[in-house]
Amino acid sequence: MVWDPKDPWSKRSDPLEDALRQARTQFQAILPSGGLRNILLVGLLIFLVWQSAFIVGPDEEGVVKRFGIPVRTLGPGPHMKIPLLETVLQPKVAKLHRVEIGFRTDRQNRQQMISQEALMLTGDMNILAIEFIVQYKIKASADYLFNVAEIHDTIGKAAEASMREVIGKSKIDEALTTGKAQIQQDTQDLLQKILDQYHTGVQVAAVQLQDVDPPEAVAAAFKDVTNAKEDREKLINQAIGYRNDILPKAKGEAAQIVNQAKGYSQARVNRALGETNRFLATLKEYNQAKDIISKRIYIETMEEIMPKMEKIIIDGKAGERLLPYLPLDRPSKKQTPPAEGSKS
Amino acid sequence: MTKQGFVIALGAVFVGLLIVGASPLFVVDVTQTAIVVQLGKPIRTVTEPGLYLKMPFVQDVTYFDKRLLDYDSDAQDVITEDKKTLLLDNFAKWRITDPLKVYQNFQSQRGALQRLHDIIYSELRVELGRHDLLEIVSTARAELMKVVTQRSNEKASAYGIEIQDVRIKRADLPQENEKTVFQRMQAEREQQAKQYRAEGAEEAQKIRSEAEKDKEILLAQAYKESEENRGTGDAKAFRIYADAYRQDQKFFDFTRSMEAYKRSFDDKSTVVMSPDSEFFHYLKQR
Repeated sequence: MVWDPKDPWSKRSDPLEDALRQARTQFQAILPSGGLRNILLVGLLIFLVWQSAFIVGPDEEGVVKRFGIPVRTLGPGPHMKIPLLETVLQPKVAKLHRVEIGFRTDRQNRQQMISQEALMLTGDMNILAIEFIVQYKIKASADYLFNVAEIHDTIGKAAEASMREVIGKSKIDEALTTGKAQIQQDTQDLLQKILDQYHTGVQVAAVQLQDVDPPEAVAAAFKDVTNAKEDREKLINQAIGYRNDILPKAKGEAAQIVNQAKGYSQARVNRALGETNRFLATLKEYNQAKDIISKRIYIETMEEIMPKMEKIIIDGKAGERLLPYLPLDRPSKKQTPPAEGSKS
Repeated sequence: MTKQGFVIALGAVFVGLLIVGASPLFVVDVTQTAIVVQLGKPIRTVTEPGLYLKMPFVQDVTYFDKRLLDYDSDAQDVITEDKKTLLLDNFAKWRITDPLKVYQNFQSQRGALQRLHDIIYSELRVELGRHDLLEIVSTARAELMKVVTQRSNEKASAYGIEIQDVRIKRADLPQENEKTVFQRMQAEREQQAKQYRAEGAEEAQKIRSEAEKDKEILLAQAYKESEENRGTGDAKAFRIYADAYRQDQKFFDFTRSMEAYKRSFDDKSTVVMSPDSEFFHYLKQR
């Protein structure tokens, strides 16, 4: 316990208690006796208890100051202090404090961007709207309470300055996509450095980017880039679809063409074999009796073809004089070849 | 006067003094320093917290904050080395290291702020004028803040003030320039979007044409194969025919002709015959 030697009461062993005892005897001396005196004493007692008892919450620390000097630090639970002479500060040391930068959450839990805080210049001279939060804990309550004026404000300002410094070194595409974790880490490190330099007694637990967006004025153009990427994939997929459609069809068609040709070829050979085998078979018999067989074939053929045809028989000599009448008006498909002298 | 009476009288005086605001006691908080002024003349500096005595009426106490204090200027335009305008918002952290000097120079903490403003403002302008926009925003920012802090602190120390940190919070473009930046950003993105779409079209066309090429090749290959097949088939057939018919040319001529007659004539054919024809040979002999 720090006690100023200049203090006149320091000679006593426990000056406060002595002073109180003395005050009490003096009060007893001045106060009127009887019922009024009792009422006044009870009232005084209630006042003293109300002034001296206090409860340190589970997430708090109690720092007791006597005449402006911090004299003791207390854990959670009920405690006593000397009324009027001692005051208590109760910083929430176990709580994770939260600072919002670039936006504020209102009571309805709606988030409102504060563009003045949020808009930041990137290293490649683009502008981004960045919303983030800082979480911190009080690691040294004495430093936190007594070293820095306007400490919440200080943490907020230092956080904004840190983020802007880090973003000032980043490129826009980095900040929008892959660089976020690095930006968070760098900002946290820088912020911790600044807060340590100020001896704030604060431990930065996390810097978390909430939203990193292009400013509203250009948001549509940025969205369109995303759409364009999708469009690119779509066009490519459509083309692949087209390929997947026509190539199998073409393969099928090709197989058909080849198979038809194979069929033709095989048929051609088979037909040839059939026809020649028939020929050879009849040839064998023909060689046995050439005249008879040929006559037979001739007559059979005639027999077969003659009944179908229209026949005009003209005598050879008469034929020389007469112009043979041919029914040219008939839609005949072909000029009928003369059957005469078919056998040479 | 009895002892008790004396104590009561003393108490009454004490209470009386408290009521007129002239207590002989004063408290200096852990966050404060105090200067005891006697009839306008500072006679004592108290830096340690605690309960102190003073002479009522004659001595007065002025308090100063011992903590790290905040100085926040309004955002201001500064001109960079490359003649660009930058809207700059900075803050500074400072503390009163010598309350007596501060008291003598400015009387109060508020008075000190004005001097602080003058120092930091001018040092910032000087330093910012030495760097171009990109350096201030990006590359030289940390170094610049360090230099300004150091120079400002050198000047401030004469007044019992320590400037611990001058820090640029915001370095933004003025609104007119912001618009230009937005336009540029927009143009950049539009160009990017166009490129993505064009890339898509390019890639798609490549894939389609490749597929069509493959299809053509496939069909031509098939055509080639089919013609070859037909050719070999025809050739084989011809050889078979030739091998067979070569055995008796005459018989082949005859049978093949007969075959042709059978196929050629139908009910639409008309034949003009002479009675001399061989077909009527026996008809005439009768």
